Amino acid sequence: MAHIHLGEGSFPLWALLLWTLVGAGLISAIVYRIRNGGIKTRQIALAGIGAAASFAVFQLNIPVWGGIHMNLTGLVGILAGPLLGGLIALVVNIFSAALGHGAVGLLGANTLINAAEAIVAYYAFKALMGMDWDVFPASASAATLGLSAGAVLMGAIIVISGVNGSALPRGDLTIAVAGLVGLNLGVAVIEGILTGFVVQFLASVRPDLVGLTDQETREESTGVTA
Amino acid sequence: MQRWQQYGGLLGLIAVCFAAGLWGFTSTGGALPWAKRSAKALQRGVQEGGGALVDLGRGIVVAGPIRKGGMMLEFGGLVALLFVLGIGLYVYVDRCGGFGEEGRSAQ
Repeated sequence: MAHIHLGEGSFPLWALLLWTLVGAGLISAIVYRIRNGGIKTRQIALAGIGAAASFAVFQLNIPVWGGIHMNLTGLVGILAGPLLGGLIALVVNIFSAALGHGAVGLLGANTLINAAEAIVAYYAFKALMGMDWDVFPASASAATLGLSAGAVLMGAIIVISGVNGSALPRGDLTIAVAGLVGLNLGVAVIEGILTGFVVQFLASVRPDLVGLTDQETREESTGVTA
Repeated sequence: MQRWQQYGGLLGLIAVCFAAGLWGFTSTGGALPWAKRSAKALQRGVQEGGGALVDLGRGIVVAGPIRKGGMMLEFGGLVALLFVLGIGLYVYVDRCGGFGEEGRSAQ
C-alpha cells in the first residue's frame, strides 16, 4: 500500500522535478521495451482487469492497522508482468490524483513506488517458482517482498526530499519515516497473503494466466479425446 | 525445495513484517487512518499511541478526499468503466484469440 499521501507543495521543487524525471524515465523505458519487444494481447486484457481492480481497491480504506488501503500491485505485477505493471501503476495514480487521492505533483514519485512493487513482485515470483516453490508460498512471498521494496523506496524518497513545513531535523524525520515504512510492511503481510490466495486460485483453474503453462498447452489439454 | 522450507520462509517473512508493522503502528500514533498518521508523523515526529489493530466497527470506507470531496459518483463511474473495459477486453481476447496481431508481437 506504499503511497505518499502528502498534499501539493509538500516536497521542495528540486525533489519534485527529480522524481518526476525519474518516473518519466522509467515509463519511457517501459514503453520503449514494449514497443520493441511487444506483448501478448492476453496480457493486455489481464492488465485492463488488473488496473480496474487496483484502482478500486486503492480507494477503499479498510479497518486494519488504524485504516489503510491496499494496492494489489504485487498481484498486478505477477499477472500482467513488470512492463504492464509499471504502466498500470501510472494509470492508477493518475486516476487517483484526479480524484484528490494523492498529489498531482507527486505522480512521478508515487508511480516509481508502485511500479517498483509490481516489478519486484514479478521477478521474485519467477525466481521462487524457478526454485520449485509451490504457488501459494511463492506468490505470497513475492507480493510481500514487492510491497516491502515499495515501502522502503517510499521512505527513501521522503527522507531524501525532505518535507516542506516540517520542523523535524533530518534524523527525527528519518525515524518518523521508518515508523511509516514499518507500518507498510505490516500491511504488506495482509496484501501478500491475499495475493497468494488469488494467484493459487488462478493457478488451479487457469494456470496459463500465471505463466505456469502456455495457452496452447491449455487448449490442447481441454480438448476432448477419444 | 521442501515444502516446510517454503512455508517456513514465508512465515519468517510474515513474522518480520508483522513485527515491523506493530512497531510502526505504535510509534506513529496508534489507531489512526493512514493519511492522518502520515501527516502527523512527518510534521511532529514519532508519537507513541495505541488502539485496536482491527476495528471492524469502522467498516470499509472510500478514501477521505473522494468521500468528502463529493466525488463518489465519479469514483463509481471510473471503477465501472475500467471493469467493463477490462472484462470486455478479456472476454474478447479469450474468445477471439487476440487482435490478429499475435504474429507481430514478440514474446
